[in-house]
Amino acid sequence: MSVISVFHLSKYYQIHQKEPGITGSIKSLFSRKYETVKAVNDISFKINEGELVGFIGPNGAGKTTTLKCLSGLLYPTKGEIRVLGFNPYNRKPEFLKSISLVMGQKNQLWWDLPSIDTFLLNKEIYAVPDGEYNKVLDELSRLLDVKKILKTPVKKLSLGQRMKMELIASLIHSPKVLFLDEPTIGLDVVMQKNLREFIKEYNMRFKATIVLTSHYMGDVEELCRRVIIINFGKIVFDGQLSSLVTKYAPYKKIKVLFKEYVDPKKVDILGKIDKFEYPLLILKVPNEKINSVSSNILKNFNVEDITIEDPEVEDVIAQVYTEKRK
Amino acid sequence: MRKYFLIAKNTWDETLTYRVSFIMWRVRNTIQLLTIYFLWLVVLSGNKTILGYDQPAMLTYILGTSLLDAIVLSSRSYAVGEEINSGNLMNFLLRPINYFKYWLAKDVGDKAMNVVFSLIEISLIFIILKPPLFFQTNLFYIFLFIFSAFLAFFIYFFINFLLGLVGFWSPEIWAPRFIFITILGFFSGSLFPLDILPKAIFSILKFLPFTYLLYFPLKIYLGQLAFSEVLQGLIISSLWVFGMYYLVKIVWKKGLKTYAAYGK
Repeated sequence: MSVISVFHLSKYYQIHQKEPGITGSIKSLFSRKYETVKAVNDISFKINEGELVGFIGPNGAGKTTTLKCLSGLLYPTKGEIRVLGFNPYNRKPEFLKSISLVMGQKNQLWWDLPSIDTFLLNKEIYAVPDGEYNKVLDELSRLLDVKKILKTPVKKLSLGQRMKMELIASLIHSPKVLFLDEPTIGLDVVMQKNLREFIKEYNMRFKATIVLTSHYMGDVEELCRRVIIINFGKIVFDGQLSSLVTKYAPYKKIKVLFKEYVDPKKVDILGKIDKFEYPLLILKVPNEKINSVSSNILKNFNVEDITIEDPEVEDVIAQVYTEKRK
Repeated sequence: MRKYFLIAKNTWDETLTYRVSFIMWRVRNTIQLLTIYFLWLVVLSGNKTILGYDQPAMLTYILGTSLLDAIVLSSRSYAVGEEINSGNLMNFLLRPINYFKYWLAKDVGDKAMNVVFSLIEISLIFIILKPPLFFQTNLFYIFLFIFSAFLAFFIYFFINFLLGLVGFWSPEIWAPRFIFITILGFFSGSLFPLDILPKAIFSILKFLPFTYLLYFPLKIYLGQLAFSEVLQGLIISSLWVFGMYYLVKIVWKKGLKTYAAYGK
């Protein structure tokens, strides 16, 4: 059963264009030019219960707009959305109680008060029973290592600490559907790792459906089996992360470390060169030619080390982004 | 209901973290109050009366506006505009919470703080200056006074909220608010009772909401209105409360549809 279904969703913005400088400002008082920006343009997809889906795309691709439509913040220009059987835009209390949108730059904490005050308020807003509240808060604060700073005023916290508190505030009601927009932004490496672990565990333990956007491919690679790639408001890929690689990058990388100097001209004929800085050579080789090329290298050169690697997801995705632009 | 109580309490706590600013703001209020107080004290010295106001009535009016100001005119709901523009509004749209009630609760917390201080200030003035004041003894008038102040609270709350909602369409939320404050300063009757103005102007003012914020409740307290006038005033201000309420509701709905949840 699909928890989220999106049919032909479009969201257009009217953006007011202003020429620079004072003359531009005066002109804009009398005649305003508006341009329609198609942030999301006719996308459809379904997500099943318990899935953890990576929603990726370059800046301004329409990721956040889609998440905002899914969580009921934006009124779609066209199309229909169902989340847990609700139309998100109606924002029924039962719907809001079962979802959460976590945004890296969102701030729902009371700035001058300790975080615990916001948590207590959210407990009342979401009508979380005492026992459950204590359990969830205890677990989250242990996991994110913030027990000691629960009573520190929010304004005295560091960016990363605040991010963790925002996360706790967003999860205190144990939502069934979780939208995470850049959740690891501003966190250090250790915290990023902890957070990923946490998301994984949350997904498994609560059978929660999670849609995640991120700029860090690490997040996506480690967490999501399925990815939806969106660019210029359109879905360009929807499927398993592994099939993305075979579809867009039917090649492997051969890394060669030479023992002695080689003539660049001789290297040229081996295949497509990704990088050549003696003694390191990186070749991009189609899957079917891997055998012949590598044996050719071993036969004709004095090689210290040779490795064959899958292309990095990051490169593949960069390729998807640029390919569709043409 | 507990959630709205917590919002009020958090707002109270929030104000307490800026104790010094808050106290300075109250000091400024008190000095302003004393200036008008002494002005009228001198103008109406002896047994003079101006347009039906003797010294006790006028001084009661002036000190009364100070208290009502703390109850009626201390709404912070204009910040709705800033929340729309900063994108902070989405934090509320995402939670099962009524945004109007949220601001109402916030205002109650804020007003409670202001009323406590206002009462302290007026008591101090009363003890130190011993002004001749007018005390209403008729419970019926006192009840009507409280009721009209209650209506005034809502009129002002909705007007402020409406001014904040401008944020849905324009980032320039301060322009309309500034005009509103200027008009309010003159026509709410915080500097002088409005019936001092020429009859022609006053008869127009009678139909505007400003009249019912401070002037009308205090006139009831002073017992200077005939019952028919009180009734007329209560009807007009109730109409304003409901009219503003529906207007805010409609504008809010329309605004949300255009809301781009920008900011962040």
